[in-house]
Amino acid sequence: MPEMVTLTIDGHEVSVPKGTTILEAAKSIGTEVPHYCYHPGMSSPAMCRLCLVEVEGAPKPMPGCVTTVMDGQVVHTQSEQALKNRRGVLEFYLVNHPLDCPICDMSGECNLQDYVHAEGREHGRGREPKRIFGRDDFGGDVLFYGDRCVMCTRCVRFMSEVEQDHRLTVVERGNRSVIDTFYEEGLDGTYWHGNIVDICPVGALVSKEFLHKARAWDLTHTPSVCTGCAQGCNIDLHTRDNLVQRVKPRENLDVNAWWICDYGRHGYEWMNRGDRLEAPVMRSAGASQAMAWGDALRALLAKADGAGPVKAIASAKSSNEDLGALKRLVDALGGGDIVYRSARADDEVPLKGFPTLARRTDLTPNATGADLVGASRVGDDDATGGLDAVSGHDGIVIVLNDDLSDQGEDFGANASLFVYMGTHASAGATHADFVLPISTHAEGEGSFTNLERRVQRFAKAMDAPGMARPAWLVLGALAAETGGGDAPRSAADAFAALGRSVSAFAGITWEDVGTRGALLNESVSVTGD
Amino acid sequence: MAISVKVMHRPEPETTSYLRAALSGMALTFKHMVNPTKVTQQYPEEMTHLSPRWRGTHVMEQHADGRPKCVACGLCPTVCPANCIRLVGGEDDQGNRYPIVYEIDEFRCIFCGMCQEVCPVEAIHVGRHFENAEYTRERFVYDLDRLMEQDHPSTLLWDPSDPSSE
Ligand code: SF4
Ligand code: SF4
Ligand code: SF4
Ligand code: SF4
Repeated sequence: MPEMVTLTIDGHEVSVPKGTTILEAAKSIGTEVPHYCYHPGMSSPAMCRLCLVEVEGAPKPMPGCVTTVMDGQVVHTQSEQALKNRRGVLEFYLVNHPLDCPICDMSGECNLQDYVHAEGREHGRGREPKRIFGRDDFGGDVLFYGDRCVMCTRCVRFMSEVEQDHRLTVVERGNRSVIDTFYEEGLDGTYWHGNIVDICPVGALVSKEFLHKARAWDLTHTPSVCTGCAQGCNIDLHTRDNLVQRVKPRENLDVNAWWICDYGRHGYEWMNRGDRLEAPVMRSAGASQAMAWGDALRALLAKADGAGPVKAIASAKSSNEDLGALKRLVDALGGGDIVYRSARADDEVPLKGFPTLARRTDLTPNATGADLVGASRVGDDDATGGLDAVSGHDGIVIVLNDDLSDQGEDFGANASLFVYMGTHASAGATHADFVLPISTHAEGEGSFTNLERRVQRFAKAMDAPGMARPAWLVLGALAAETGGGDAPRSAADAFAALGRSVSAFAGITWEDVGTRGALLNESVSVTGD
Repeated sequence: MAISVKVMHRPEPETTSYLRAALSGMALTFKHMVNPTKVTQQYPEEMTHLSPRWRGTHVMEQHADGRPKCVACGLCPTVCPANCIRLVGGEDDQGNRYPIVYEIDEFRCIFCGMCQEVCPVEAIHVGRHFENAEYTRERFVYDLDRLMEQDHPSTLLWDPSDPSSE
């Protein structure tokens, strides 16, 4: 139990562990002290001078981000003196600021805009011409609008303290100081620099990819989980017009804190892919026929009766619920092998300042989940090959969410029943008796299990095209029809069914997982190397 | 069930002569005929007077070099209560933010003028104009070129000499 200190902030008594700063103590009672340079993940240089608060007995205003609390201290964050300090500091910030909110990508989520609107002066008093820096390309995905910068140095500190690759610095002094890169090197070749765009409190650092794409207030934020690797970083999908426009990290101190890698940040285009399967199709005697789900599943069940042993290809990109439902169906049809293929990178890409976070070698989000339901990994590190045993199988072949991109048209030619469940068409599915459209993880609810065996939920961010449905819904209905039991009606049902059939998932509920994730009983601890 | 017949009692003809109404109508016509103040306007030879605050179909202001003044800030599509403005922003070859697509569906527009009021660069304006006849419905979705071609005067949302309408 740490030693507690009791102080008064704006008339509220608050007890916090010794060594807490005033800013953090105020945050714990819901009082936000405006600030730029302070970020919970980095050191505090106390240079933005915006978090100055009035402390009774202190000779001058104290910076809340570095002043630690003392017993019996009386702090005012909203007193006349504190407000006057902030109004003055904000006026200085606007001396050289171009006020170009209408063309600034940060507009709508900008801390300068918010603070000035809340507490700043209504009109500027400056008469001098503003100094002009213009725009600079920092390399990587980052553009720098020097005039908008408030010189908080968060970006510099991120690169030196968190990524630990000194790529940015402050050059010049005083009024002319500006953030710059070393030589022409820029940010190219760093793997976490997208985070500086997130932590820049104003629109000085913007993403080239997102430039002018959408306004902050038009985007819908949906909590999700990154599918880039087995780390399972918590993210928000920002969508508009049923398209993912960008990916932002979602704070979860147990997994990724405030950061995500650039690989995950820019790996969302596949969710926007247009040429999707939209209706269940049955092929018989060379003719394809689109049909309603009910008809397709009834025809499938009729054909599956006595069709022989099953071989299934699963995917480490499918959710726990999808994999569990596939497992139940395979068991209900008499049992059989489930294999999956997944891409692997040669090296981890660690974030040096946060040892438990790295872009992992396993480039799929749910290989752990696939292993836990009893699937085995086959094939090479680029997710090809390994399917010879399935390709010529003469019983039932079920393919879930693997696009068979390396397979020829003769894949599954001997199968007595070949079911292809995917998001888009594939040459490998030429012989499929049933082609069933499924939704992506962004189009439905579900969960992934990351490499430390943490189950994490994602929510529905977009609408699925046409008649595409989540795989757990389809497989769950088929499994219930063949093996008995209830068909799952929601992802929570499907997760509960998974807990009943796979012991590793027993004992945690959908609510336990919540927005922060929950560790399975036999969790493994992971650190970066 | 017996069928009952409802008998309508109409007023007697002697109390309801249509002649009286016809005569009073003719009297009014005659009064107007001899009245020296004419109220009929000879439109289209003679144009109607429109208030400076009349709000009609839109005009997009442009720079001297023909670029639209709009900077694709997204405020007018946000404020528009009829949700009839479609905007896709982008960057031109000089690095300026500009609207790649800017369309207003004039059929859905309710001519509230809020787009003009909100525009930070005074680009989009409602116009003092009402002659909008077209042969097809599609022509009522005005794209950026069409909006810049409009040559009618734009609206004054308030009287400059009395901005707070007192
Ligand atoms: S940084 Fe903020 S205040 Fe500055 S232009 Fe952008 S939105 Fe406006
Ligand atoms: S670019 Fe952004 S993060 Fe970096 S110092 Fe300027 S305001 Fe701060
Ligand atoms: S006048 Fe009103 S309804 Fe019409 S486009 Fe402008 S904001 Fe929308
Ligand atoms: S408010 Fe003005 S600048 Fe902004 S998008 Fe509309 S027309 Fe363009």
